[in-house]
Amino acid sequence: MPLSRFVLRGAALAVVATTLAGCDFFGTEKRVTVQKGYRGTGMEHTVKEATVMADFKATNIPEPVPAAGPMPPGPLPWKNVQVLNDISVAEFNRTMIAMSTWVAGTGNCAYCHNVVNFASDTANNGQPLYTKLVARRMLQMTRHINGQYASHVANTGVTCYTCHRGKPVPNGLWFFEDANQYQRHYLDRDGARVISTAMAPGNDNRSSVRQTEWTYALMISMSNSLGVNCTYCHNTRQFASWTEAPPQRVKAYAGIGMLRDVNNNFLAPLQPVYPKIRLGQMGDAPKAQCLTCHQGVYKPLYGAKMAKDYPALWGRPDWNGTPFPGAYQQAATDSTQSVAANPAPAATGGQD
Amino acid sequence: MLEYQNLFTRVQVRTQPEPGLPIEDSLSGMNRFGKGGFGILGYIAGKFGDAQIGPVYLGTLGVLSAMCFFIAFEIVGLNMWASVGWDPVEFVRRLPWLALEPPPPQYGLKIPPLNQGGWYLMAGFFLTMSILLWWGRTYRRARALGMGTHLPWAFASAIFLYSTFYFQPLIVGSWSEMVPMGIFPHLDWTSAFSIRYGNLYYNPFHALSIVFLYGSAILFAMHGATILAVARLGGEREIEQITDRGTAAERAALFWRWCMGWNATMESIHRWAWWFAVLTTFTGGIGILLTGTVVDNWYLWGVKHGLVAPYPAQNVLTDEQKLQLRGRYQGTSPDSFPMYNVPVTPSAAPTGADATVPMVPADSAAAPAAAPAATPPATTTPPAGGAR
Repeated sequence: MPLSRFVLRGAALAVVATTLAGCDFFGTEKRVTVQKGYRGTGMEHTVKEATVMADFKATNIPEPVPAAGPMPPGPLPWKNVQVLNDISVAEFNRTMIAMSTWVAGTGNCAYCHNVVNFASDTANNGQPLYTKLVARRMLQMTRHINGQYASHVANTGVTCYTCHRGKPVPNGLWFFEDANQYQRHYLDRDGARVISTAMAPGNDNRSSVRQTEWTYALMISMSNSLGVNCTYCHNTRQFASWTEAPPQRVKAYAGIGMLRDVNNNFLAPLQPVYPKIRLGQMGDAPKAQCLTCHQGVYKPLYGAKMAKDYPALWGRPDWNGTPFPGAYQQAATDSTQSVAANPAPAATGGQD
Repeated sequence: MLEYQNLFTRVQVRTQPEPGLPIEDSLSGMNRFGKGGFGILGYIAGKFGDAQIGPVYLGTLGVLSAMCFFIAFEIVGLNMWASVGWDPVEFVRRLPWLALEPPPPQYGLKIPPLNQGGWYLMAGFFLTMSILLWWGRTYRRARALGMGTHLPWAFASAIFLYSTFYFQPLIVGSWSEMVPMGIFPHLDWTSAFSIRYGNLYYNPFHALSIVFLYGSAILFAMHGATILAVARLGGEREIEQITDRGTAAERAALFWRWCMGWNATMESIHRWAWWFAVLTTFTGGIGILLTGTVVDNWYLWGVKHGLVAPYPAQNVLTDEQKLQLRGRYQGTSPDSFPMYNVPVTPSAAPTGADATVPMVPADSAAAPAAAPAATPPATTTPPAGGAR
């Protein structure tokens, strides 16, 4: 073979090899494997080290706003504060600043507020400020999640940033496309379980193979949302078994319950508040799924504990048994409950 | 002759095409298609041996079979194309994911409308007719050539497995269990079928089928390699070696006795291969017929019969927790969560209740026609009810 042809072939081979290696065609990127189940069962969590490390470095976790000072005595000056009326003024302002960073863009008070009258829920032209109304409900939702769903969010909790990531509209929201999409399991469709609990056929499980495919789609959406494979939560030799499943499955199940609560009681009912541009093609409000918080990571923000710096997001005076730093004003009434039970008194107090 | 000892032969057979035997039965006088020849494909095929392609025998059954297949193919293809709004680019781009789906579960074994699986049943009918007619063709051609009928009966075993994908749904009483016609969709069906019935790997007939399938592959490789390896000694003349054993057969037999202690013969290896191939699909078909009819959860069957390795529990759960985590089957009414009705736009309404609908009770939100647009549940606080 002439030398030129040999060199040419070698160069071509090198180009092909580099291209393939570059796109990880042969799985050349280093994998890290974590055993998730009993030995020999192949229950492993496999991650591409460099990819995950790059994503980890790219994940921007905002610094906490400097802690608020002690609370001066005296009544709170609020006119129309319906949720955050159990914290000090300084803590309140601090939370607002943080929220602007997390959701609206730093210092952009006007994204939610009428800057002429911060207490108002309407703009100067009388139009309702939907962003403020939604934000208020989202604060209630955040407190609800942090207060009621330790089974899923543990003491890490969630902040606005968990979903919003510095953007007014979070990633991974879902809308109705047809009546039968699998995401409805995160809202109102019941029973992803399709595997029989008895050996012989019977009438208690009439699930079809078609329904199994629906469950399959649902499960894969969770898998993609968390960047994990099936064995992160299941022993795949019997998907239905709880005792053979890793503990993460219990946590995930609590998460489904949480999503349904959140979608039913907080997100979907906001539909009349949104302008048309924020609604889906079938006119429904944006709704959350696993992806909305997790964004491809099995612990959102790689488990960063952001919420512990913000007493306002918990609706209680301590974090995991440790009192929050700074003053905490125990309100006479629990704001979330009073607002939920009867919004009228709050309404009369506002916007003079 | 020495050229045959390699994996590919350098001898390209080039001669007058062999027209075959005269044929009595014919369809309107035309019983053969083409004159036979060598061409590009002939050259590639010639790498493996005699490269003549054609003439193709048509015959009544062959023509009818081809027509039935064409009808089935058109029904599937046009339905796929329709499912992307007749967009040719989308059709090509999404072809691997497109499918003609069987009727949804709510139809049971009733006749559904065309766009709710009616086309599927029609395509299935014509595809099955095509296959059965083709079986008749293989039988009649074998008889016409004075051959045994080993080929038709081996083909019949494959048809038996194919037919169980129709018979199992008939036994469990729902068209919806049938295999969707599409590239990835039929693979997804395979996966879902296994999951629904509690992991098909614990189905012993599935296991047998895999044994015979892999066995067929290894027998095929062993036999092909053995014959090629003794071709230089005349081993490719297998029929002659069967009746008049020569050095090729003796060396091949000796090789296997040395390697694994015993040998098949030039004749018996073909019985081994035939039975392995036939039993692959035959045992597989039995496994399908037992699934959902006799056994609903093969894993639990495996537990009962000691197939399942006992691993220590990953989770220690109380009975109360288990009850809480048990989940529910499809088709039960939703639990305590308030209902949220699906909003409906006029354009979405006709396709709303489509082929992918899971079985739901009539009073649930799956009946979107009656749904008022996005009414918040009465139990929750309207967030806009705050100060104005």
